[in-house]
Parts: sequence; C-alpha cells; structure tokens
Amino acid sequence: MKKYFALVKLFFTQQYKMRSTVGSKDKKHIGWIFTVVVIILGLLPFAISVAVAMFYMGQISQGNEYVNAFLILMCQGLVLMFGVHAIISNVFIVGDAERLAYLPVRSLTVFLAKFTVTYLNEVITTAVTLCVIVLPFGIGAGASAAFYCTLPFALLLIPVLPLFVGTVVAMPLSALMAAVGKNGTLKTVVRVLMYLTVMALYMYVMYNFGFFSGSENNILDNPQEYIAEMIDGFINRLQGIVVYAHSDYMLSCAMLSGSFGDRIGSIAASIGENLLMLAIVMVMALPFYNTIVRQSLESGGIARRKSKNAVANSQSLKLRNKGSLLQLIITDFKRTVRDGQLGFQSFAGLVMLPVTIVIFYFMLGQASDGDASFLEVMSISPMYQIIAPLVVLGYTGMLSVITNVWGLYPITRENTSFYLLKSLPISFNKILLAKVILATAVMSVCDFITCLLIVLLLGIKWYYGIAIFVTMALIGFGAMCITTLLDLKSPKFRWANFNQGLNNAKNHWYAILISMLLDLAIALASTPFLIWCYATSNAQDVAPMWYIPFLMWLLLLVISFAFAMVAYKVMARKASGYFNRIET
Amino acid sequence: MIRLTDVSKTYKSGVKAVDGLTLQVNDGEIFGFLGPNGAGKSTTIKMITGILSPDGGTVEIDGVNMAEQPIAAKSLIGFVPDNHEIYETLKGTEFLNFVGTMYGVDSAAMAARIDEYATIFDIKSVLPNLISSYSHGMKQKLLMVAALLHQPKVWVLDEPLTGLDPQSAFQLKQIMRKQADMGNTVFFSSHVIDVVEKVCDRIGIIDHGKLVAVDTLDNLRADGNVSLESLFLTITAHDGDKE
Repeated sequence: MKKYFALVKLFFTQQYKMRSTVGSKDKKHIGWIFTVVVIILGLLPFAISVAVAMFYMGQISQGNEYVNAFLILMCQGLVLMFGVHAIISNVFIVGDAERLAYLPVRSLTVFLAKFTVTYLNEVITTAVTLCVIVLPFGIGAGASAAFYCTLPFALLLIPVLPLFVGTVVAMPLSALMAAVGKNGTLKTVVRVLMYLTVMALYMYVMYNFGFFSGSENNILDNPQEYIAEMIDGFINRLQGIVVYAHSDYMLSCAMLSGSFGDRIGSIAASIGENLLMLAIVMVMALPFYNTIVRQSLESGGIARRKSKNAVANSQSLKLRNKGSLLQLIITDFKRTVRDGQLGFQSFAGLVMLPVTIVIFYFMLGQASDGDASFLEVMSISPMYQIIAPLVVLGYTGMLSVITNVWGLYPITRENTSFYLLKSLPISFNKILLAKVILATAVMSVCDFITCLLIVLLLGIKWYYGIAIFVTMALIGFGAMCITTLLDLKSPKFRWANFNQGLNNAKNHWYAILISMLLDLAIALASTPFLIWCYATSNAQDVAPMWYIPFLMWLLLLVISFAFAMVAYKVMARKASGYFNRIET
Repeated sequence: MIRLTDVSKTYKSGVKAVDGLTLQVNDGEIFGFLGPNGAGKSTTIKMITGILSPDGGTVEIDGVNMAEQPIAAKSLIGFVPDNHEIYETLKGTEFLNFVGTMYGVDSAAMAARIDEYATIFDIKSVLPNLISSYSHGMKQKLLMVAALLHQPKVWVLDEPLTGLDPQSAFQLKQIMRKQADMGNTVFFSSHVIDVVEKVCDRIGIIDHGKLVAVDTLDNLRADGNVSLESLFLTITAHDGDKE
C-alpha cells in the first residue's frame, strides 16, 4: 500500500508541479491572481444563472427523483466531457512505461495509482458541477437534511460512471491506435474523430433528453398548463432514460425520497452498483493496460528492426531548403501532428467548433409537425442578419482562442527540445512568428468550415460569413501573439505526458480572460450600430439601411486589424527578453 | 576561435555555476574541457552556444560577440548537446533538413554533406525512420551530422563519446582532427580522460565554476610520468560529487 500511495502522490502532484524554467522566487503572482479573480467574476453570472435555473427546476418539479437523477447524469456528462481525454492520456498512453518498468512495483499497483489519480481529478470536476447543478436543485426543492448528508456520497459516486464509460471508450480507441501502428498522423486523426463522435453523441443525447414538443397548449395562451404538460412529458421521458443509469436513480432516491430505511437501501444499492462498475472496469482495463505497456516497452526494438529494411528508401532523401520561416512552421506542424497526445490535444478543441454549429442547427432547426422551426422564425426577422453574425463572431471567436492549444502552449510544446531553438541562428521573433502563423492557420481552417456552415445551415448571408472569417483570423492572430508571449514568459518543461504540461497551466485562464475582453470589445463596438439599426428599421419590421451593418463590420475589421498589429508589436518587443530568461 | 572573458553565470536557484571564467581556444585547436560533475562544464558550453546568457563577461566566437550579434555568432557554431533531446516525431532526414535550413545550407550542399557524414557514422539507412525509433547512439550520431551540415568554424561537443560504439568513436576522433587541421576550432567536454589525453591539443579543467588549469598536456604535467587521470584527480581532489 505504501508504494501505491507513493505513486498516487507522485502522479497527482506531478500534474500540478510542472517545473517552470523561469525562476519562481521573483515571480509576481499579483497579475495571475487578478486574472483568476476577473475570470471567476466573468463566469459567475453564467454559473449563477445555471444555479438559479436549477433552483427553479427543483421548485417546479418538487424535488422529483427522476429529474435529480437526470441532473446527476448531466453532471456525469460534463465530467466525462472534461475527463475522457485525461483517462486516455493518464492511463492508456504510457509515456512513462520505461521509467516505471525497472522499479520494484507491480504493474497492478501502477495501474491502480493511475486510475486513482484520474478518479481524483474527476472528483474535483464533480465538486464544481454539484455546486452549480445539484445543490441549487435540492435547495429549490426544499430538500431535507438527508439530501445534504448524501452530497459527500454523491461527490464520490458520480465520477464512477464517467470513469466507466470513459474507460470503455478509451480501450477500443487505444486498441485502434495500436492497430494503426506507428503512423502518428493517422493516430491523431483517428483519435480526434473518435473524440468528436463521443462529444457529438453526448450533445445529441443530452439535447434529446430535454426536448419537448407536441403540446396542444400554447405557451402564451396557457403558460401554466404548457409548463405543467412540459414537465410531465419531461419526467415521462426521464423515467425511460434513467433505467440505463440505475445507480444514479438510486443515488437520487437516497437524496430525495422515501423513509430513512429506503434511503439507506438506495444509497447501499448505488454504492454497490458503482463498486461493481469499478470492479468490471478494472478487470477489463488491467490486461489491456499491461498489453499497452508491453507494446510501448518493445516498440523501440521493433522500430530498429524495421529500420534495417529502410535502406532502399534512404537512397532518395528528400531535402529542400524552403526558407527558415516556412521550415519552422512545417517542422512544428509535422512533429506535433505525429505525436499522438500533442496532436490530439491540439485538434480536439478546435474541431468542436464546426460540430457545435451543426448541433445548433439541429437544435434550432427542429420543428413540430406543421410548425416553423425556431431558426426559420428567427431568420425571417431583418435584425437576424445583423445580430446572428455578431453572436457567431463572439461565440466562435471566444472558443477559437480558448481551445487553440497550438497557440496556448507553443513553447511548452517544445519541452526539453527547447534548447535547440535557442542554439539556432534564427531570431526569436521569427521563431515566435512561425508559431503564431501555425496556430492561426490551423484555427483558420476550423473557422473557415465554421463560417461555411453558418452560411449553409444557419442562413447567414455569405458576405457576413466572409466578414466573420476575416475578423476571426485577425482577432485569432492577435490573441495567439499574446498567448504565445504568455507561454514564453512561463513555459512548463520536462513533462513526460503533454497532459501534465496542460494541467495547472495558467495559459487557459489567460486565454479565457483575453477572449472575454475581446467579446466585450466586439459588444461595445457594435452596440451603437445595433441601436442605430433598431431605430431606423422601425423596430424589426423593416430591414436596416445597408450601410449601417457595412460600417459596423468595417469598424470591427479595423479594430481587429489594429489589435493584431499591436499584439504582434508587443510580442516582437518582448520576445527576446523572455527567451533569454528561460534557463534550459 | 572561442574567447570567453570573465564569464559568470548564477542560476535563478542561486547556484553559481561559472565564476569569472576567462579562456581562449584558438583556430586549429582541439580543446578538451574537463571537470567533476556540477563543476560548470555544461553551463559554460551553453553560454558558448548562446543557449544561456552570462550574467557578466563576454563570449566571442571568431571575433563575433554572442550578446551583440547572437545570430551571426550562432551561425559559426556546430553544437552537439549531451541530452539528445530532439524532435522525436520527425524523421532523421526531416530533422537534418530542418537544421540545414536554419543554418542557410542549400539543398545540394545539404544532400552531399548528409551523404558524407551519415555514411561515416553509419546512420544513412535509418534516416528515413522516425527519430523516436533511434537508439541513444544513433541520436548522438544524428546530432553530429546535423552539427556538421553547415561546416561550422567552431564545433562544440558536450560529452560526445557517451553511447557511441568503438567504430563511431574512432570516426569522431578522426573528424575532430580533420576539423582542427582545416583551421576550425573543436571544443569538447568529456569524462573519458583517455580520449582527452590522446586527442586534445590543450586541456582546461574547471572546478566549482572556476578554471583551475589550462595548458597543453605536457605543460600540465609537472612530472613527465604523471597521467592526466592522476593530474585531474589531484587538481579536483577536494571536490565531492555534487550532481
């Protein structure tokens, strides 16, 4: 057990104690604390609005255990969404196999320790989701003290199902990876596609859980009957659904209903079912883990044997001097895409952008028999073409910046090879510019597809699609300059697993702050034009004069261009100093 | 030519790695840099190659000041690090193409030199493979080929013999001598005293960040029968293993 706890401690703290190559003694934390406070304040309204909605849901449903079970399932969905790649990275990508193999520790102990750390990470995510979703629901429902006494059990039990599902998803994925062989690029593509499928499925299922249609009542004419009918329909649907998550239903019953004895019985049943799930997943995953470790340890030898067969190919070495900037970009792209973890992390977030547009389309475009869909109703309004592109710009612009690992960790990505960049006779500005161009280029491909989809699916005019794309490219370039500089200021090196480089990194927080500020700037710049449009279009009935949106987008483009230029200048001015500070 | 003038480096952790080091390595010379673990060898090499900036003093490569003209100075250096941390997901060829391009070597010259050096070090057959599949020695050889691609005036090698097979070690020594005969400077650190004794024209010994001895081997030997090993152990006798 000592070894197990030592390993858990090692793996867990490793995530949060990545070595920074810039001295920590003289680090100023004020800026960092300020950033966190601003972001929390920025996210607080969203969290509060969700909590308030849950509070009312608790009131309306009168603490219905099916609704609570559904909310638990929703929490698990979020835990799964944030945690599935951590399961793959922490448990099934064994970059540290060689380092652990010679230690006098059983493979089972290592596996259990890794699994425990993944579980603990999910407990942390669960705590947040419980506070925002389940707790307000219970307060709204006027739940008894038993509800609050059961919350610690909920905290420990909720992560089990995501861990189970995540592992079940991760195993065939890892097997597929092994079958793909040593082709890193193909591995990255397969992994991203699988991730997309899981996320799309999750969103689709969650959407269908809550969708209600077919009421005879109109919400405006009979709001109370409409809501009551909606809740009944919702609960009926949930009854059919939660049978598949029986442990959640049992947990929900333990929290909300029945006598003391019933509650004890429910919690015991939930614990038993969750333990069973854990046992099943362990039994399934352990042999799989051992196979992955063995393959990893043997892979070097296989590659060397293969290398003997490569003599014929060596006769025609393809060498081309393409210029240093292009070569920096190509090399960075190739090596990232070929690295399973780096590639996956770099693409997974970005490719979700177009997927969310498709999901929005399905959500907004779905209509009851004979009725027009919400999207159809909205798109008729003259103001739709003015407001919708702005909303899309704000949403996609924000997601592009936050999820673009290419631009958030360009220096951390170098890891221990960073010395190489410092020894090359190339200016630091050029190295950073190459990284920013690469990040912007990859992001722009996703943005282009996103813009194409909003034109094709959401009915936004093509010229707004172009305007959004160009504005996003400029904003993205500027934001990437800042995030690159921030990563350069405090990179995390010596990670064995890129997930460790991502954990505890401030870059994501900074990116959220940057994107929030950018959205605020977009809102401030466009609001006067929206008022102008509204005033001159006679309150939505008449299309606004063409030059108003034209001027608005012109201003947004000018602001975006200015932002990109200023951000680049700042990066260029600071690059050399920050580069020299890094001690490799 | 390498010239270090009163160079010092203290890490942010507070460790003074190099303290007032002054040293000149001439053209056409093979210079062996010795020292116990933690003496400051690698830090000195990192300052010579521009990876670390010294806190004080100047580093000049062939008369070019590293602090004032880092790109020009780095262009003159071919560097073989000791850690072999390179882009594992690139193929050998791609890595060499990358390094060659960074040093401004044209495609034809690059191909010719890769062919020449990869043949000497016997890694030509593995160049189309991913570096992640290379052994420690293969990576070392790849780094040597990469460092020679632009025909550097100054060749800096940090522990170059670690992991090399006897044939490659022999080839390396031959190339070092050839580079020196061409009028270039070869600066290398090593723990293998036999090699230093056989190959080097001059030797420097660093201890606690200070250069405690620098001269030809003959001049260093007070008594003609003293081996370099004995000399090294005597000079650094007070020192414990700190790394």
